[in-house]
Amino acid sequence: MNVLFQRMAFMIFLVGKVLRFLMFFGFLFFLLKGTKNLAGYNLNQTIFFFLTFNFVDVVAQFLFREVYRFRPLVVNGGFDLVLTKPMSALFRVLMGGADVIDLATIPPLIFAIYWVGNLLHPTPLQLVLFLFLLVNGLLIATAFHIAVLGFGIITLEIDHTIMIYRDLSSLGRLPIDIYKEPLKSVLTFLVPVGIMVTLPAKALMGLVSPLGALASSLIGILGIILAVRFWKFALTKYASASS
Amino acid sequence: MKKYLSVFKISFQQEFVYRLNFIMWRVRNVLQIFLIFFLWNAVFSQPGAIVFGYDRAKILTYVFGILVLRAIVFSARTVDVSGEISSGDLTNYLLKPVSYFKYWFTRDLSSKVLNLGFATVETTILFLILKPVFFLQTNPTLVLAFVISIFLAVFLYFHILFVVNLVAFWTPESGWAFQFLFMVIIAEFLSGGIFPLDILPLAFQKAIYLLPFPYVLFFPLQVYLGKIATSAILVGLITSGLWLVILNLILRYLWNKGLRRYEAVGR
Repeated sequence: MNVLFQRMAFMIFLVGKVLRFLMFFGFLFFLLKGTKNLAGYNLNQTIFFFLTFNFVDVVAQFLFREVYRFRPLVVNGGFDLVLTKPMSALFRVLMGGADVIDLATIPPLIFAIYWVGNLLHPTPLQLVLFLFLLVNGLLIATAFHIAVLGFGIITLEIDHTIMIYRDLSSLGRLPIDIYKEPLKSVLTFLVPVGIMVTLPAKALMGLVSPLGALASSLIGILGIILAVRFWKFALTKYASASS
Repeated sequence: MKKYLSVFKISFQQEFVYRLNFIMWRVRNVLQIFLIFFLWNAVFSQPGAIVFGYDRAKILTYVFGILVLRAIVFSARTVDVSGEISSGDLTNYLLKPVSYFKYWFTRDLSSKVLNLGFATVETTILFLILKPVFFLQTNPTLVLAFVISIFLAVFLYFHILFVVNLVAFWTPESGWAFQFLFMVIIAEFLSGGIFPLDILPLAFQKAIYLLPFPYVLFFPLQVYLGKIATSAILVGLITSGLWLVILNLILRYLWNKGLRRYEAVGR
């Protein structure tokens, strides 16, 4: 009976995620049909921004779902057991439980990116830059998740922090060009949502130079280094209080 | 009445137990408004533009209206009902001389008061930062209809949420999954919480108007913005009332059926 309920919950979550995607997609479609362009981008370009955001978001959720389950480990002291095992504790709490629901949505998403991307007629260089910046985007997403874990050890707060990350990254559903200063700069440099999701899509449209892509990758690398350092610092604050 | 007043006070205090959680929840609400605000700001970047029957003032009023109305309508503690059914905690209430529905409605009200207070402060701050043009409705009839539609919306949302939570009687492990599908996805979109429903093709709009969801956010805001005729307002209010009756019947039917099935597992 339990297996049946689990399967039902799986299906409901999957249907919910697909519905959310389709409804926002439908919204963009009908909106752009009426307005013809958004901040200078046409329908296909706007949809490509949306698809790129979804790819980074879904892959991050698929890989880092364990982060959402980290709080109970810290609160009940179960994290002690993770620390004593001969395995990287960071790896375990970051990637210890992939989400199959998100995995199911990745192939159709890749197909949609391929389909809409083709309509933008990219050159081989633009395609390479797109893939390069997509990997960089995932690197930044990884850095965010590591930082959330570190924050969780220090404050015991995970649920809302991760949701705030999701809300912030959701601002990248649409090209960050729609935002005004200083929010635009915040989303580009401070919380680099723009580099994470908007820039790869722009690269495919030929709006990013190789030098710009290289500079962006430095932010990704720096983000990972800082996040890992913060994680190590947070570990020194772990009190193992409930064990 | 006195006991529900006590429930209201205790529930209000409980909201402050997890202060950081509450503040984070409010921060999230503001962040969600940013996306919608700037999206519409970009669409209406040309002065005097009218898109889907909205001018700049009306669409930005819609965005800010969503922030306030969500606090009034969507703030609810009833989300915890399915958890109580699956954990067996429901038994505690069945033994007490309280109406389970009134108990949760009172808790919802306390949550709404608190969230509305915060939403008012946030709206003021955002208003000062973003300086949007704002549409002020001055027609007293429309303002009255707007207030009535909000009252109906609060009761409608309570019934929808309660019905969805009662699914836990039959599938105790899937309570949250059903809430995710119906309340987080379907109700959110079909109520106009993400975008005004009148940008959709007419056939979609007609179909959505047959459901109870548009009457919890979209309809009240349309009334406020004066976008629908008086006769349509009357029809909308009657439809809201009808849905309320239908949902109340469904709620009572499911509650009675569910109680017979309830095994107080975990107690």
